[in-house]
Amino acid sequence: MPAIELDGVTKRFDDVTALRGVDMTVEDGDVFGFLGPNGAGKTTTIDVLLDFVRPTAGSAEVLGLDARADSEAIRERLGVLPEGYDLYDRLTGRHHIEFVGEAKRADPDPEAIADRVGLDRADLDRKVEGYSRGMAQRLALGMALVGEPDLLILDEPSSGLDPNGARLMRQIVREENERGATVFFSSHILGQVEAVCDRVAILQDGEVIAVDTVEGLREATDTGTRLVVSVAPGEAEAAADAARAVDAVESATVEGDDLVVAVDSDAKMTVLTAIEDAGIAVDDFETEEASLEDLFAAYTDEGPAPAATAGAAAATGRSSAGDDDGDGSAGADGDDPDGEDGGADR
Amino acid sequence: MSADTGGDSGGLDGALRDAFDWYPVAKKEFRDAVRSKGLWVLSFLFTALFVMPAARNWWDLRSAQQVPRRLQEFGLQVAISRPYLDIVTLLVPIVVIFAAYAAVSDERTSGSLKVLLSLPFSRRDVIVGKVAGRSAVVGVPLLAALGLTGLFFAVSPFTFKIGVFAWFVLYTVAFTLVFTAFVVSISGAMSTNLRSLAGAGIVYFYLSFGWNSLANSIGDVLANYAGMEGALRWQIVLFVKLLSPTQAYKTLTNSMLGEGAGAATTARYGMFQQGQEAMGTICGDVLGGNPQVRQTMFGNQTVCQTGGSGLPFYFSDPAVFASFLVWIGVAAAISYYTFDRVDL
Repeated sequence: MPAIELDGVTKRFDDVTALRGVDMTVEDGDVFGFLGPNGAGKTTTIDVLLDFVRPTAGSAEVLGLDARADSEAIRERLGVLPEGYDLYDRLTGRHHIEFVGEAKRADPDPEAIADRVGLDRADLDRKVEGYSRGMAQRLALGMALVGEPDLLILDEPSSGLDPNGARLMRQIVREENERGATVFFSSHILGQVEAVCDRVAILQDGEVIAVDTVEGLREATDTGTRLVVSVAPGEAEAAADAARAVDAVESATVEGDDLVVAVDSDAKMTVLTAIEDAGIAVDDFETEEASLEDLFAAYTDEGPAPAATAGAAAATGRSSAGDDDGDGSAGADGDDPDGEDGGADR
Repeated sequence: MSADTGGDSGGLDGALRDAFDWYPVAKKEFRDAVRSKGLWVLSFLFTALFVMPAARNWWDLRSAQQVPRRLQEFGLQVAISRPYLDIVTLLVPIVVIFAAYAAVSDERTSGSLKVLLSLPFSRRDVIVGKVAGRSAVVGVPLLAALGLTGLFFAVSPFTFKIGVFAWFVLYTVAFTLVFTAFVVSISGAMSTNLRSLAGAGIVYFYLSFGWNSLANSIGDVLANYAGMEGALRWQIVLFVKLLSPTQAYKTLTNSMLGEGAGAATTARYGMFQQGQEAMGTICGDVLGGNPQVRQTMFGNQTVCQTGGSGLPFYFSDPAVFASFLVWIGVAAAISYYTFDRVDL
């Protein structure tokens, strides 16, 4: 029995069509990524699953039950981290967890949950009013974990979290999955989805344009992070040599005064350390990740002549980064739009 | 009210949780309010509203040196019939509106409703829990204020009649809860705080100032266009009048203050101000009383005395009180019906 089954779900609001016949199946036990830019309809899809919003056409089943008729029974078994939520300012973190426990007739241990999501125990008895965005997000994630849900629905779970928090969140997703929960993970950030999901659906303008395994997705996007490092003029080549010595680096090219390194996202710091170890001072650096636009280009532009559109130019820029030095300068023209696209993500 | 500040108060808390799906919502609502200044402000406002008029009467008496016996004996009734009836029907609803108009709409606009409804609560649970929770939020300060007022009367030179005061408290709390249910229900049916506030304001205005003329116009229409004259017309008018919780509260309290057998008849009769012939019909045929014309300095006046068939059951105090409480259910049902239909 699939955990989620959407069949031709269409949702029209007064003047906009948010979903256009979404078909999607999430198998039991999957960590399923739901990827799309803001405004693609991800939250509306989740709203349909939770019966916040009633579809204009089509049907939705969650845990084998009808999302509309059996919503309450479904939500007994659900853990939800909604998007654009708000907590109760005057209540403490502990109150919130207790409230969820009462709602689900579970008996949560607030301390254990706080430890799991990285919320300071001392903050449990503070009013949520004084929480930072990241603390509130951790608490909301903790609330979603109460009662060992069969299905976790996380809408943009990493928003407001610092890199440590995002890593912890991914670890929790894996732990929950090992416990047996299905995880439905919605995000507009490619890297987030890639890092934890088994399978991925890509939503654009209210339509599912692709469903793929995460390996397929990697191939389609060529994964790499571009790390752009600024060093003193004249030291760029030496820095490139230092970078190439790092295993995870696919290529390192000098473009103008900058060093551009194509590297697996986790190894960025290793590269920077290697350059500094070679006695070269790093003035500045920034990372550019494969953007969703690139991804859509990869999935939608399967037809001929990939060079024509701006999206295709971005894709060209990406593949050149994976090539050796010689093509690097040739690809430089295509790199500028790529850089803008990728930079928009972070 | 059982949802006290203590987290796990054990038996009762657990029993309520087991019995009612909406209980956690109500409890959360109350817990939230206890931690705001709102509850204290409400207690203070209610206390000020009730104690001040009585204190002023007392103060006036101080300078008079000697308390007139009648005033001493009936001071409580006088306070209830004059300032309190108006305070409860006109000012308490305004306080309630401000305490409750955002109950649901605010959660909707802020997004906390998403948290609430991602938990296993039906939308009905949310509305019922909100009505119950906000009723406690308004009811607890109101009871505290009324308790202080009772204490005030007990130590004042006025005779404190616990029976009269207890009925007054019962009717006042019931009226306030009905109004709270109205306001919370409107909040559930509206998409924004502003609309909720406007809706509650309009309902308040109609119930307080427009209802009598509405009831009378219905009577006129029935008479002029449907040829419905006599008892039936006035029965319908009285029925419509009593549909307003404000009118119901006033006539219930007046009937209680009147004491004695004919008090309810007199109180219902007092809801009308019509010509002599109509008043006779109302007394004799609608209220089952015995109309008597008396000469006064303002001309002939019809007085309604008990006798005849007696006040019909459906216009009696218990029936009025019951219909009054039915409103809580009706308001919540309408709200649920609206709230259940919409996309969030």
